[in-house]
Amino acid sequence: MHFLQSDKFEQNREVIILISIILGILVFATVLFFIWGRIKPTNQLKELKMRTNSWWVMASIFVLATILHPVVSFVAFGLLSFAAMRELASISKNVRDDDRRVIIWCYLAIPIQYFFAYKGWFNIFIIFIPVIMHVWIPFMLVIRGITTEIGRSMGVLPTQMMLTIFSLSHLAYLLSLPEIPGFNAGGRGLLLYVVFLTEINDVFQFVWGKLLGRHKIIEKISPNKTWEGFIGGVLSTAALAYFLRFLTPLTEIEAVLIGFTIACSGFVGDVIVSAIKRDIGLKDTGTLIPGHGGILDRIDSLSLTAPIFFYIVYNLHYV
Amino acid sequence: MRSAFLAFLYSILMRGFLRIIVGVKYINKEVINKEKQFIIVSNHNSHLDTMALMSSLSFRQLSKTHPIAAGDYFGDSVTKSFITRLFTNAILIRRTKDGSSENPIEMMSRALSEGRSLILFPEGSRGEPEKMQEFKKGIGILLQKHPDIKYIPVYMRGMGKVLPKGEKLLVPFDTYVMFGEPSTTKAAEIEEIVKEVEGRIMELRATFIKPIANSEEE
Repeated sequence: MHFLQSDKFEQNREVIILISIILGILVFATVLFFIWGRIKPTNQLKELKMRTNSWWVMASIFVLATILHPVVSFVAFGLLSFAAMRELASISKNVRDDDRRVIIWCYLAIPIQYFFAYKGWFNIFIIFIPVIMHVWIPFMLVIRGITTEIGRSMGVLPTQMMLTIFSLSHLAYLLSLPEIPGFNAGGRGLLLYVVFLTEINDVFQFVWGKLLGRHKIIEKISPNKTWEGFIGGVLSTAALAYFLRFLTPLTEIEAVLIGFTIACSGFVGDVIVSAIKRDIGLKDTGTLIPGHGGILDRIDSLSLTAPIFFYIVYNLHYV
Repeated sequence: MRSAFLAFLYSILMRGFLRIIVGVKYINKEVINKEKQFIIVSNHNSHLDTMALMSSLSFRQLSKTHPIAAGDYFGDSVTKSFITRLFTNAILIRRTKDGSSENPIEMMSRALSEGRSLILFPEGSRGEPEKMQEFKKGIGILLQKHPDIKYIPVYMRGMGKVLPKGEKLLVPFDTYVMFGEPSTTKAAEIEEIVKEVEGRIMELRATFIKPIANSEEE
């Protein structure tokens, strides 16, 4: 059983505090929506309830993956990348049908990338997908010998790998960062910090948008995104980033700036995936049947915030 | 012993493999576990189709459910037919009429009379990836003979991409197995029954790919 237990989790007070906060928010939301539903059930409430339920699932997975042994976390994140890559490859119409064999190489890159992250081999970790796979995938396409519309697959497959494998693996790499004296929460703290801020930023932007939203930002891609929601979300997230900085080695000013950065890049990731979905003609990526959300819908913002957060923290405190 | 083997194979190994690695998603699967005897009627694009359907069955149903497989393909050698029978419980039929072997409809009908369930692919062969072919008459004859047995329409999407005809390499893609409501047939004539069943599967197919034109975006 000691494989499933991480030795220092019990002493990691900071991480326990944040997990309690997350549980508190979820319990609060569930109870609130339950009572609300008793008093005045509406259609909008149904959607909110569904969202809360999927948050429970997401939160449990992330919390378990963070508190168990690092190997469990790496496997969990690897599977998340795999499912996301598979989802993107399945809905994409921009890869030629006959290139299905080449997609196997994209899947095979996942365990390799996560192995580098596990070992903490930083130099190969940061070049494996952006450099090596960016050469390997086009080469495999060329070997097939059919050049008609080859540019579609050449462009799209590496981009999909960046969105789903490269970016998410940075979350796992946080767990391999060396310890800094005087900073107790460690990689787990950083991981929970960036995931929590990214997801709560989505919620903030949604709530502020519903409350005050007037002026649309990019109506053609995300009609419900408004300037009011965006600014409200950025400010709330920055404030929260400041108060939760005990999870990180960041100074006060750094924490606020990182809060801003996470909020803005989360928004960008969200609209990028929205645009991809629009191109295909889907509302949710996961299933073609309304009401079931996909994995990409949950990790769209994360795929941008994870690497950006990682490199800022890395360059500020780990070099 | 044998049912334990099948249960282990499909409920644990195969289900895990299909869900986690291949990415099979079952929709409305609950309907099947309530039925005692049934004929599953599905479109056919891949060898995985049978595996996916068998994996959706409960312990008790597994040993009593028989996929109908082409004897001229799966039974053309002793090893092949042994493996097919061992792993799938299949009833092997001849697709060509040469008079030497038993009438396929008779074989299926007898299994139904014994209280067994069937998995049937009325398209006959896997065909082009993700395209449906015209249904063969067999399902109509069977349902006419056994009007009290329920059929369950199933539409599968994506299997032809994961493992198409003529390919050996399995490539994971998100795949959907969608179950329709079980029902007995309303028609009396063979052609009408075939049309009814085909129509039910087409209905399931039509629920996929909804354009977002009027829906609210988050």
